[in-house]
Amino acid sequence: MRTVRLPESASMPVLVAAVVACALLGSTLRAAVYDSEALSTAGTVFSGIFVQALPFLALGVVLSALIAVFVTAERLSRWLPRRPAAAVLAAAASGAALPGCECGSVPIARRLFGEGAVGAAALTFMLAAPAINPVVVVSTVVAFPGQPQMVFARVGASLITAIVMGLAWSRWGRTEWITRRLPRAIDGQASRWHTFTEAARHDFIQAASYLVIGAAAAAALHVVVPDWLMAHLAGQLLLGVLVMAVLAVVLALCSEADAFVAASLTMVPLVPRLVFLVVGPAVDVKLFAMQSGMFGRAFAIRFAPATFVVATAAATVVGVLVLGQRA
Amino acid sequence: MSREAENALLLLVGVATAMITTGGAYTRYVKASLLPWLTVTAVIVIGLALVSIVADIRRGSAPDDDHGGHSHRGSVAWLLLVPVVVLIFVTPPALRPGAAAPKVTAVSTEVLRRPFPALPDGRAPEVSIPDVLIRAAHDTAGTLNDRLITVIGFTLAETDGVDLGRVVIICCAADAQLARIHLRGPAAAELRNYPEETWLRVEGTVTPGKADGDSTSIPTLQVQSATRIEAPANTYA
Repeated sequence: MRTVRLPESASMPVLVAAVVACALLGSTLRAAVYDSEALSTAGTVFSGIFVQALPFLALGVVLSALIAVFVTAERLSRWLPRRPAAAVLAAAASGAALPGCECGSVPIARRLFGEGAVGAAALTFMLAAPAINPVVVVSTVVAFPGQPQMVFARVGASLITAIVMGLAWSRWGRTEWITRRLPRAIDGQASRWHTFTEAARHDFIQAASYLVIGAAAAAALHVVVPDWLMAHLAGQLLLGVLVMAVLAVVLALCSEADAFVAASLTMVPLVPRLVFLVVGPAVDVKLFAMQSGMFGRAFAIRFAPATFVVATAAATVVGVLVLGQRA
Repeated sequence: MSREAENALLLLVGVATAMITTGGAYTRYVKASLLPWLTVTAVIVIGLALVSIVADIRRGSAPDDDHGGHSHRGSVAWLLLVPVVVLIFVTPPALRPGAAAPKVTAVSTEVLRRPFPALPDGRAPEVSIPDVLIRAAHDTAGTLNDRLITVIGFTLAETDGVDLGRVVIICCAADAQLARIHLRGPAAAELRNYPEETWLRVEGTVTPGKADGDSTSIPTLQVQSATRIEAPANTYA
């Protein structure tokens, strides 16, 4: 064991002891979970969200590590349009190019993040990519056959949310809220391979740890949120919008699946279901946890509620205009 | 948390992913079609951990560039122990029907009526319960009419008889829903004696419906025969 600060040097033996203890107690733990319906449901939903997110997270950190190697902040700002508004629009459009769920886009956005227009563009990309990429668009088309206006409304409202949040950041955002710093290969002579593996390692550990918090919160809420909630939403637009927006946050579904869940909530009117589809990929409990892990808590407690309000408002307005009041 | 401990946890997360993937337990949590991606993920994570461990050993000490005094290396990585313990030592069971949202299925209400491809040949081809629901509600070609089919699912007691159910997941266990069909006819009466959630292979004919695009109406299967079976490896449809 190398001499580092005491708590750090103790962590390896503690980890080994913890794993051995869990192995010894394994059957007891297992029995406890299997015997309780609530615990097994929560455990399965937790595992579902975590395992489902892992491949997207792996893809995300590989991309973010490539960004760490090849894309410097100066290079990015040279590529992007100079004016913040134009940079934000370009970032929103490029969100269509990253197929996957929202978990992968948080580490990528953190790597792309920089001063001024670059920061606004990175955040716009983070919000746009999970909502308007081809896989999500196709699954929305499949889930709502014969209702192309639902697809247009979803893409439109998500783009508006991403752009508004990007512009809001370039106007009111403060870089001191970003308290989490990324390890950079400082000494210039580090090989590209070393930079790549260090960036991927850091981003994976950081994002996956916070994903654990988010998945656990979502699993707990799954067990707590009652099923009968939906049945009482028919015909109540405002209440429906609010409940579905909150539900999108607490259920933390992946953006490729949420269209099917929304489609199956047939007793809820279309506009609240659109709100569900627009809010979910932009802000939910697991994204909040991951954002506070990658960017910092001061950032997340401002950005996530603002995104929630903007996404809910954008989806409601677009929904009423495009879908009307139809059930 | 020290760098070695982080690397060890990273390795454990990769091993946990590999274990549920090779052992088949992953089908309790996500779609079976995620298999190749989970394999790639396990390889990436284990590879990343091994590369970091080997590089640290060869260097003799961990690189300083991510300590630097200001580092946020805190205790948060300990949280990765949770999925490791849950996936390796607990491996929670597949969702029980009570945990799935009690609604029909993952198809939507207003749907284009369209003809579906004919069922496979044979005496009683196997059709999944969601497929039965979709065809019953939206199939204008009437592919289920007068065809003996085989369906597999678990029993759900109801006031008027027994239903056959299957939990459907679209992406992962967080979006699970319950799909069900009614089992009716003389042969269905004795099914009442089975306990809840008995797995059955049922042969029967779907009562022709209206194919009116209403996915909330539950189709009925006239049962010819029913056999008790073991729960399938992948309990979701």
